[in-house]
Formats: sequence, structure tokens, C-alpha cells
Amino acid sequence: MKAAPVAEGSLVAAGVSATPRRRAPRLDELLPRWATFAPALLLMLGLGVLPLVNLLYTSFHTVSWSGGHATFTPVGFAHYASLPFDTLLRAGLGNTVIFAVFAVAGQMVLGFALALMCSRVTRGRMFYRALFILPILVPGIVIGAIWKLMLNFDFGLINQLVELLGFEGRNWLGDKETALASVIVVDIWHWTPFCFLLLLAGLESLPQDPYEAAKIDGASWWQELRYITLPLMAPAILVTFAFRLVIAFKVFDEVYLLTAGGPGTATEVVSFTLYQRFFTEDRAGYGAAMAITIMFICALLLVMALSVRRRSEPA
Amino acid sequence: MTHQRGRISRRQTVAGLTAGLLGAGPTMAAAQTKVAPITIVINQSPWFDSFRKTVELYEKETGNKVELDVNPFAGSLEKQRNSVRARQGQYDLLIMNSGWFAEMYFGGFVEALSDIDPGLKLDPDIFTLGNTVYFDAAKKTVGSGKLMSMPISPLIPVVYYRGDLYKEAGLAAPQTFADLEANARKFNKPPRQYGIVQRGARGPASVSFDFYPYLYGFGGSVFKDQAAGDYSVALNSEQGRTALDYYIRLSREAGHPKTASIDQAEVIQNMVTGKAAHVMMVISAWSQMDDPTKSAVVDKVEFAPTPHAPGLVSAPGLGHWLGGVAKNVPDERKRAAVAFLRWYQTKPAQMATAMAGGIPVSAAIYREPLASERRFRWMKAMAESLPHAVSTLSFPEAGEVIPILELGLNRAVAGETTAVAALNDMAGQIHAVMAKYGYKTGTLPGLK
Repeated sequence: MKAAPVAEGSLVAAGVSATPRRRAPRLDELLPRWATFAPALLLMLGLGVLPLVNLLYTSFHTVSWSGGHATFTPVGFAHYASLPFDTLLRAGLGNTVIFAVFAVAGQMVLGFALALMCSRVTRGRMFYRALFILPILVPGIVIGAIWKLMLNFDFGLINQLVELLGFEGRNWLGDKETALASVIVVDIWHWTPFCFLLLLAGLESLPQDPYEAAKIDGASWWQELRYITLPLMAPAILVTFAFRLVIAFKVFDEVYLLTAGGPGTATEVVSFTLYQRFFTEDRAGYGAAMAITIMFICALLLVMALSVRRRSEPA
Repeated sequence: MTHQRGRISRRQTVAGLTAGLLGAGPTMAAAQTKVAPITIVINQSPWFDSFRKTVELYEKETGNKVELDVNPFAGSLEKQRNSVRARQGQYDLLIMNSGWFAEMYFGGFVEALSDIDPGLKLDPDIFTLGNTVYFDAAKKTVGSGKLMSMPISPLIPVVYYRGDLYKEAGLAAPQTFADLEANARKFNKPPRQYGIVQRGARGPASVSFDFYPYLYGFGGSVFKDQAAGDYSVALNSEQGRTALDYYIRLSREAGHPKTASIDQAEVIQNMVTGKAAHVMMVISAWSQMDDPTKSAVVDKVEFAPTPHAPGLVSAPGLGHWLGGVAKNVPDERKRAAVAFLRWYQTKPAQMATAMAGGIPVSAAIYREPLASERRFRWMKAMAESLPHAVSTLSFPEAGEVIPILELGLNRAVAGETTAVAALNDMAGQIHAVMAKYGYKTGTLPGLK
């Protein structure tokens, strides 16, 4: 049954709220709600919040081991205060920003281009989809092995091809000029399917009416893309971008497997610095402070990206 | 003179293991007491396969069960830390690297072998590897005190060189750094062949481990007198500068053009493919050199102790592995782990290790006739080197110092910074670490 249309302006003018005021729930109504919600809440607190609280607590201590027992010595904000002076972290932050910007930009452009092509293909669509998502299905360790071999200076396939074309081979992972770029290329190869999948899903859910109208109006392919597809896809693009940016900021496996942060600090990234400080050097307190800081940066990035998305949405 | 092919066949291995068993005698019989099953946590090194075969022999001989938990280098350390810090440990026998055994000793995570079995004595032929098997918990010093562990693999670097090239050129094995440089330059014909391939990459213990024989061989050191508890940083001494200048010069003028990105796997790769005339590497890669399925230089590689400056001796850094028993496991499993170690130090077990492609920890094996066999030609270099091997970082915070060395040395090799700046920078950082933990430390005036 349809409600009779109400002129909102008349109600506001009469001092009546447009939305009916809600009645405060009674205790007998609240209890069942909370009883059913509590297990999920406790689980979330246990699995999500408690480890974070523990990490935060550790970040204000120095942890040492003696006689088989751990000793937590409070140090206040000392670990946080020393973070800006950590040369490895500074190098890592700079490289991570470069890595995240270039890798995600490359993946977004390629992923979107592939999604556009795939959305227009009528024959063999499943084959192309399977082909394009293949890299994301390969385990990180295998990707490391594949690219380490391909980029090897002495025996790598890339240098063999380069030399076949008459150029001199390069030490792609070992020269500070090319090492980070090489890792970015590997990351683009690895993660473009992620962007491709999300953007393809977005493209396939777009309404067809605007396209039909545009066709009638004689719009070109470029005009369709510029004035219909991109504006309609903006929310999907921004969400994909935000997720990829956060994931790119956390890059670890590719750097660990391909360059171990070298040569020098050319491919040092924050996650790798954190790994070294926390695990290799066994500095749990300092590592925890670094982890909290990196988490904060990641959260900030996500919030910024999502707020941009909200602003881009039609009112 | 006929030479045996270097590769050890399956038949030879079985024959060797059987010979080991037959020669076991009463020692082996004593080890046949049934004990609880144990779990050993170990890393996947080039010598692991020989250790696995030796363990299989132990199981076959005694009927005791041993489970091996095999991991990458860093993963093994992490698993050991997690296990020893738990209320009850998962691993009974920890195979600890020279980079972290001190952490286990000082942290109180391993139990003295002599406390578990007061009757256990270290066989006099077993190398004590800078006495790193001993620890004095009261004085907090490595090198004296109770027997805490048993050597498992005595890894030190030696020079691998192309004997065929040397023979052709009428050269003798390099003894001094001058010899090595001259010979490396002579054979440096890039890109077909490099005079030397060094391990200059940054890693868990890569370029620093590669650099130690140069540093100590030139008379330098990381600390002034670690054994006496003086942790004054001596890295940026004149000897340190000479060593690093030499290391860098060798890489640039007679070495691989991409030394800064070369790790152990690439060093081995260059040697077995015939692209390297020299490498300095742990001896555990020896069996690959003579394996025709892996090597293009079968029977062409010779071995020598790492070079030294005139008037000094070869001084390779220890990169050895020790077996220690976790404190937080049931007593019966501790005793079972000691039973394995007691067996492992016997001559037959050590002979079996050698026959399986491993590196014996018993001097007795190096005196055996097999040491003069062609396929074991590396044993002479090992036997000469081991008494001079240097224990580089025997304190629990070594894990903080190694990354400083790795980054600083790698940057110097890559040309990101000068040798002097790198040495001064590393010295400053290491001093800060040692001061933070309250060690007696100091610094040298910065190199100019």
C-alpha cells in the first residue's frame, strides 16, 4: 500500500520534523538486541581490539628476556620519539610513498583498460577474464622466484632479450636506479588483476540507458568514456584506489623476496623496516611503536580516500 | 694419478654410512638406549641434506624417533624464539646459528648439556669453535663455564678457486690478499669470467659475513676485545679502512660488476657455471662444485684458507651452527636430545656426516685417510682454517648489530657512500647499541 505523498515544505513550515521522532527503546526490547549482538561484539573485541591494545601497551615498553622470562620496562613515548631519527624508516617511508603512488597508478590505468576491453568482448569473455586474473592467483613466493630469475643480471630472461635487441643488460634488482622501478613493475604485474576485477564488476553494473541515449545522440567512444563511464564509475574507481593504496603501503613480500631492501636502502619499504626492527632485531617495544604509527598512516590514507569518494558522490 | 670423480654417488653414501656403522663399536651400542622422540628445529642450508641423512642413520641405528622442522634462515630463528618463550616448548633441540646462539644462552632459553647429563663430556676431537659451546651464566660470558651446546656444522668461509686456471697459469694457491688480488685481476675477463665474485648483498647475514675474513685478515675487528668484555668499537680503525678499501677495490676492478646485489645463491651460481675464478664462501657448498648435474667445473675447483695480510694468519669469521637443548621441554625429551648429541659427536657419526656431504665437527675425521682423497680435498683447507676462526658477535644483541653492518657495508659496496663514511657511520651506530645495553664500550676517533 502506498502512503499518500506529503508536501515536505508545508510540514517544515509548520514546524514539524520531516522524519517522525523515534521512541526510545524499552529495556525489555534492548536486552534481546544486545544479547544477540554481544557474541559478535566480543569476538570482534577479542580478535581485533585486544591485539591492538596489546600492541599499543608494548609500544610504551622495552621488552627484554632473561632467565627465560620477559621483562617489560616502561619507557613512555621514547620509542615514538626516536622514530623520526630512524634512518631506515625515513628511507622506507619515502620509498613506500613512491612505490604506492606509481604502482597503484599503473594498476588502476591498466586494470581499467583491461576491464573496459573485457566488458566489450562478446566471445571468449571467460577466457580473457581467467587470463587477466591469473597473476593474482600465483602465490607471492612463486612470484618472487619467477621475477628473481627473469631479472637476474647474468642469466635472466629479460637481459637475454635486451641483449638480443643489441642493448646492454642491466642489473635490474641490483642497481639503485632500477631496483625500485623493477619492484614496482612486478607489483603492477601482480596486482593489476585486483583492480581489473573490481572495476569490471563496476562496469558491468552500470545502467545501459545513458549509453543508449548517447548512441542516439551520436556520441563517440571517447565521449561515452569521458562523459558517461568515468563519472558513473568514479565511486568504484575511488574505492578500488583506496583499497589498493592501503595494500600497496603494506607491501612486504615482493621486497623481501626480490631485493631485501637493497641495494643500500633503494627498495627499503616501511613493512620491511618493521620486520627487521621487530623480528630480526627482536625489538618488540620499538617495533610495536613503529607498527602503531604505520597503522595510523594506513588508516589516515583510507579515511582520506573514502572522504574524497563521499564528496564525489552526487548529493 | 687417477682422481676420483668428486660427486658422491648414492652407493658411495650408503657404503660410507655402513662403514660408519660397522666402525661404531661400543659407542654406538651405548646410544641404542630407547629414548623419547625429539623434534629438531633447523634451517634449510646447503649442508642440511647431510644432516638429514645422519639423523636417518641415528634413527635406524637406535630406533629412536627424530622429527626435523626445516625452515629458511630467518624463519628458523623466529620459530626458535616462539618456542623457547612459550610455557612449554615445541622444539627440543635448537640448531642455533653463530648470529643468535648468544641470545639463547643469555636469555636462559637453553639448558647446559652437562646439567641434563652430568656424564656428558665433549669429545676432545670436537672443534669448540671459538669456545662458543661454553657459557658462564653468572659472569654472562661466552667461552667459559658450562657446556651449553654441541657443534653441528663448523661453517667458515674458505677460498674456492679454479685449479685448472691456476695450473694453466703456473700459479700457486693464494695465501695473502696481494696474491688473491693479483690472481683475480689476471683471471678477470668480464662478462665471460670474473676474477672474484663476492657476496655484497644486504641480507640477514650476507655482506657482513663475507667481509669478516677481510676485516680480521687485515688485523681489524668489530670490537677491541670482545672475549675480555671490552666492546669498544674498533671497526673504523686503519685496518678496517684497509680491509674495506681492499674489498671494494677487488669488487670494482677484479670482481662482479653487480657485487652489491649478489647473495650466496648467486655466488654459488657464478662458481658452478664457471663464471667465477675465485669465491670466498662457506665450505658447505663444496659438494655442488663436483656434482655434474649442477656444475660445469667438476673437479676443477680447489680450496684454500682465506687470505691474510703479511705477518698475520687467515681469520675467517665463524658462521657455525650449534645444537642446544631447550629449557622448557620435559626432562625425558631433554635427555633424548642429549642422547642424540652424544651420538652425533662420535667418530662414526661424524664419518657418516662427511660421507653424506656434510662438514664434520670432529678433528678425527680430518686426520683420516679419506681427508687426502680427491673428493675431500677441501678438508685440508678446513683443518688449517678452523683453529684461527673468529667468533665475531657473541652477545645477545648481535641481532641489532648485524643489520647495521649489512646496510653500511652494502651501501659502501654499491657506491652510495665512501668506505670511510660507511665505517664511521657503522661504528657510531654500533657504539650506540652497545651503550644502550650497558656494555663497556667506546669509539675510535673518526677516520678522515
